[in-house]
Amino acid sequence: MPSRRSIAATGVAALIATAIGIALSYAIHWFPVQASTQAKNTDTLYHVLAIASIPIFVLVVTVILFSVWHFRMKPGQELQDGPPIHGNTRLEVLWTAFPAALLLGLVSYSFVVLHDNERKPAGKEIVVEVTGQQFAWTYQYPPSVTGGAPFSSTQLYLPNNESVDFAIRSKDVIHAFWIPAFRLQIDAVPGITTHYRATPDRIGSYPVVCNLLCGVGHSTMRSTVHVVAPARFEAWVRSGGASQSSTG
Amino acid sequence: MRTTLAKLRAPGLYRAGLGFAIGIAFATAITWVVRSSTGHATFHHYLSGDAILTVSLIASPIFFLVGLGGFDYWLYWAAGRPTRPEDHSSHGAHSWKDYFRINTDHKVIGIQYTVTAFFFLLVGGLLAMLMRAQLAQPGAQFVDANTYNGLFSVHASLLIFLFVIPVFAGLANYVLPLMIGAPDMAFPRLNALSYWLLPLAGLMMLSSFLAPGGAFADGWTAYTPLSIDAPIGQDFFSIGVQLAGASSIMTALNFLVTIITMRAPGMSFFRMPLLVWANFATSLLVVIATPFIAASQFFVLLDHALGFNFFNAGKGGDVLMYQHVFWFYSHPAVYIMMLPGFGIISEVIAVKARKPIFGYRMMAFSLLAIVALGFTVWAHHMFTSGMASWIRIPMAITTAIIAVPTGIKIFSWLATLWRGILHLDTPMLFALGFLTTFTLGGISGVMLAMVPFDIHVSASYFIVAHIHYVLFGGSLMTIFAGVYYWFPKMTGRTFDERLGKWHFWTTFVFFNLTFAPMHILGLEGMPRRVATYASKFADLNLFISIASFALGLSTLIFVYNIVTSWRGGPRAAANPWRGLTLEWQVSSPPPIFNFDRVPTVVGGPYEYGVPGAVHGIFAPAPVPATVGGGAPVTTGGGVHAPSE
Amino acid sequence: MEAASVAHAVAHEDHHGPPPAHRSSRVEPQLLGMLLFIISEVMVFGAFFTAYFFIRVAQGDPWPAPGTHLPVIPTLFNTMILVSSSITMHWALRGVQTGNYRALKAGILTTFLMGAAFLFIQINEYANIGFAPQDHAQATIFYSLTGLHGCHVFIGLCLLLFVTIRAFRGHYSPENHRGVEIPGIYWHFVDIMWIIVYTTVYVI
Ligand code: HEA
Ligand code: HEA
Ligand code: CUA
Ligand SMILES: [Cu+2]
Repeated sequence: MPSRRSIAATGVAALIATAIGIALSYAIHWFPVQASTQAKNTDTLYHVLAIASIPIFVLVVTVILFSVWHFRMKPGQELQDGPPIHGNTRLEVLWTAFPAALLLGLVSYSFVVLHDNERKPAGKEIVVEVTGQQFAWTYQYPPSVTGGAPFSSTQLYLPNNESVDFAIRSKDVIHAFWIPAFRLQIDAVPGITTHYRATPDRIGSYPVVCNLLCGVGHSTMRSTVHVVAPARFEAWVRSGGASQSSTG
Repeated sequence: MRTTLAKLRAPGLYRAGLGFAIGIAFATAITWVVRSSTGHATFHHYLSGDAILTVSLIASPIFFLVGLGGFDYWLYWAAGRPTRPEDHSSHGAHSWKDYFRINTDHKVIGIQYTVTAFFFLLVGGLLAMLMRAQLAQPGAQFVDANTYNGLFSVHASLLIFLFVIPVFAGLANYVLPLMIGAPDMAFPRLNALSYWLLPLAGLMMLSSFLAPGGAFADGWTAYTPLSIDAPIGQDFFSIGVQLAGASSIMTALNFLVTIITMRAPGMSFFRMPLLVWANFATSLLVVIATPFIAASQFFVLLDHALGFNFFNAGKGGDVLMYQHVFWFYSHPAVYIMMLPGFGIISEVIAVKARKPIFGYRMMAFSLLAIVALGFTVWAHHMFTSGMASWIRIPMAITTAIIAVPTGIKIFSWLATLWRGILHLDTPMLFALGFLTTFTLGGISGVMLAMVPFDIHVSASYFIVAHIHYVLFGGSLMTIFAGVYYWFPKMTGRTFDERLGKWHFWTTFVFFNLTFAPMHILGLEGMPRRVATYASKFADLNLFISIASFALGLSTLIFVYNIVTSWRGGPRAAANPWRGLTLEWQVSSPPPIFNFDRVPTVVGGPYEYGVPGAVHGIFAPAPVPATVGGGAPVTTGGGVHAPSE
Repeated sequence: MEAASVAHAVAHEDHHGPPPAHRSSRVEPQLLGMLLFIISEVMVFGAFFTAYFFIRVAQGDPWPAPGTHLPVIPTLFNTMILVSSSITMHWALRGVQTGNYRALKAGILTTFLMGAAFLFIQINEYANIGFAPQDHAQATIFYSLTGLHGCHVFIGLCLLLFVTIRAFRGHYSPENHRGVEIPGIYWHFVDIMWIIVYTTVYVI
């Protein structure tokens, strides 16, 4: 039996490793910039998940390393067996109940985040129709946005701090409309219209990625989203999506 | 002349080749008849290359198998002729040529399976090397985009359908009948047939690179409608999967019947080794789930070849239906690729830690819990698919909960290690490596169950990382552990322990260097299944590619060790690991019929450390049948090992 | 040739058979195998019914497709043929179990003929129904479900044919009738499946 001291020392080492792991999970630059309110919620969820899972991983590794260190076969033990321990009900209940509770907690929290991300905000909301086609995206701005005739553009402009409801369709095969900076994606499926909602909150240009294998051109089915100040957006819409050259 | 003719008439590879040719002729004839009877105007249309190819893909394997002799017995039966009871002359293999015949010995079949599967691992791995060469730099032109798409599609299909699933079936084929004290599987001829479907399926998938228009290139998931518009190469996948799927279902049937009806006297369900339990659970999954992928590929085939409208949105078809049907199989399939590995790890850890498995019953129940839950989570692959949004809620909950029975297993293994006497040799190192890497892969899986997070990383390199942590860090680690563990039993030789350790450490290190950075790539926004990528991902990708080449090389250590040890390694003892389970109580390799007489099981399989404990004896059972794990009356040398 | 048979005889010398396996369950391996196989088959149908469900229920497409018509009543007649063939199958099995070989032969032959009649009528229905699977998704599902079932009838008929041949050659006896029983189970499965297909595709 390993001494209490070595168990305690290992416990401390595990705690330190956990702390380092969690610190790293904050320090490493994991994500692209956050450019929507949804992105902030999702990143927080990610950090919570990291905080919950790092201790579990550290626990598993610690037990393994500790066993390797202390229970390794030593010379003379070649023919010996360990103690015939068949189980321990208390422990087994513990390691069933604790993960179950933890997981239910995490999944509930994730539903809260999901609900927040998909809820229609109180303020104004515009609709942008997105169409995927091998191998390009086009964006239609309906009359509700343009105030006049609808127009379509290969450029995606969005007003800052206003919620957008994307209505996504496909003309041929399935594509996926992914804006990593918003942490959002959904498939563009032939025959149906899919939706997601984003509130951009950071002015800038970010990549739009087709994230579902759609044929030879899949890797190059890219576009850019320009989040601009509402006034600039108005101007762009009034010009019928003309000012395509100047990107913000 | 006469001998050629005789060769062509006797079952074997020659006749199989002839059958193959007849299959093509048959396909040509039948397409000609059908097309002309349905009235095509010009001769040109009567013979269509694509149609002939598609029908040949179905017909030639069947004719090949008939030629090989796979159906001889049933053809006799069908013709009403007297059937010959098995004369067992085909049992055992006396030269390497015997491995190229229909053979009904489960040990020969086990080796056929395992070697074939490892061949496909090397080929599939080689394709991965080509992929990594392409991805080493953004915009690299090592291969074109279409070929690249073909590479990862064939890579994944081979590794899933021709490596992981069959290699587990192969190892179990070898050891499972021995473990339960049976002389063979329940249906030996079916067993032979299910093996021979595999090389056909694998070569079919591989040869799709030669098809006009290139290999199937829609990933191993073959989502519609892309796969419907694809060139003919797609049929190589759809039909290859049918063959591999039929093979899995047949083996699973065989395992279930063998386990239920052929256990040695005294071997109650709760005295079965956990490997047997694991294959029992896996076989249930296969029997219930695999028909779904068969159906999904029938749909694709009908749409692709005959213009049906399952997935034609313009004519009322439903595109998402494919994904539901596909994942209803393919999620359980990931457990089909993991549960047998759990079985192997239980064997290895109990023997190498010299302790009984901690919580044996919970280990068995958790397998069944995973089977049951495994059918309720499929739509977690579809969180971003555009399906009705409420489905995400129950699916996310069940997906998270499935970590509980898996956790029970992990923690029970850890508790088995605790206070044991750990023999840190190669099988054990792989088992411990598995515990770490699989836990990581499982945890990233649980993160994916959290819908908002999955909405960001779905179909990114984060998924690629998860895939390889569970499939390589999980399944493949257990496969290596199992191959090393049973190598002495299967070949009668001892492998080189030093090389084994080298193999472990290089694999473990380069595996993590290759796949861990992929998590970061995914979070940062690099999509999967792309032949080129944004330049900001260049550095990490180069790093990954280099590490992956080293990982590929580490596999060669394994190949070298296995090949040289098999040919010239020192003779292995009957029971080198001092295991209690029955396969270790016979010689290495076991006698042709496994046991001279069926053993009697008198105790649990893992009673290490229990004084005088015995699992099975070869004499009739001692009079008072001892209950549970208690020590039987016969002490010590009750186990009769006809070793030499 | 000669050398080969000598070799065979020699090989026989050192090839004693394996010890008989211990039977750890009362259920017969063949029977269990067939039941498990039927589970797989039910799942194949399950997948096709999933497709049916998605197109007819989830998408809400009209059923049958506008302008088409399903011959409900003629198929009811056909259904009755198939269901009766289950009864004659049972009659054949009772026959062999009680040593009544006339009943066995008559029963198995009628079963076979009724099954063949069913298949023939079904194919005739295809020829006259007036739409093709390429026309729309409803037609695709109609042909696929009935066609899948038709394939099973065909497999069942092959089995029945083999059983018939053997029955007429006198290969079965009250002690040895597994060869009638197990194909019979498959045949009952095919019949029950048809009732489900008929109800969902034609009636509802
Ligand atoms: C061997 C194969 C295997 C295994 C075992 C698993 C296991 C799991 N997988 Fe994985 N998965 C794949 C193979 C596998 N997966 C593949 C190939 C894909 C991609 C398919 C494709 O698109 O090509 C995929 C994709 C995939 C997705 C879809 C991602 C997407 O496309 O958007 C999801 C989402 O939920 C998921 C989840 C899980 C979960 C929750 C588990 C769980 O079963 C894991 C459970 C295990 C643990 C959690 C570790 C041990 C447990 C403990 C130590 C207890 C305590 C733990 C906690 C409290 C967290 N997997
Ligand atoms: C068991 C399953 C398994 C295994 C073992 C592997 C092993 C490897 N995989 Fe694979 N992979 C998958 C299953 C697996 N993969 C799946 C399911 C996908 C998803 C596909 C899809 O999107 O549809 C995937 C996708 C996938 C991708 C993503 C492709 C993309 O999305 O664009 C990448 C990229 O790096 C990759 C790399 C690797 C590497 C480097 C290895 C290495 O571990 C390989 C190591 C090398 C060897 C083991 C062989 C070494 C041998 C030699 C060097 C010589 C051989 C000699 C002869 C043949 C004569 N894999
Ligand atoms: Cu469009 Cu990928
Ligand atoms: Cu899954």
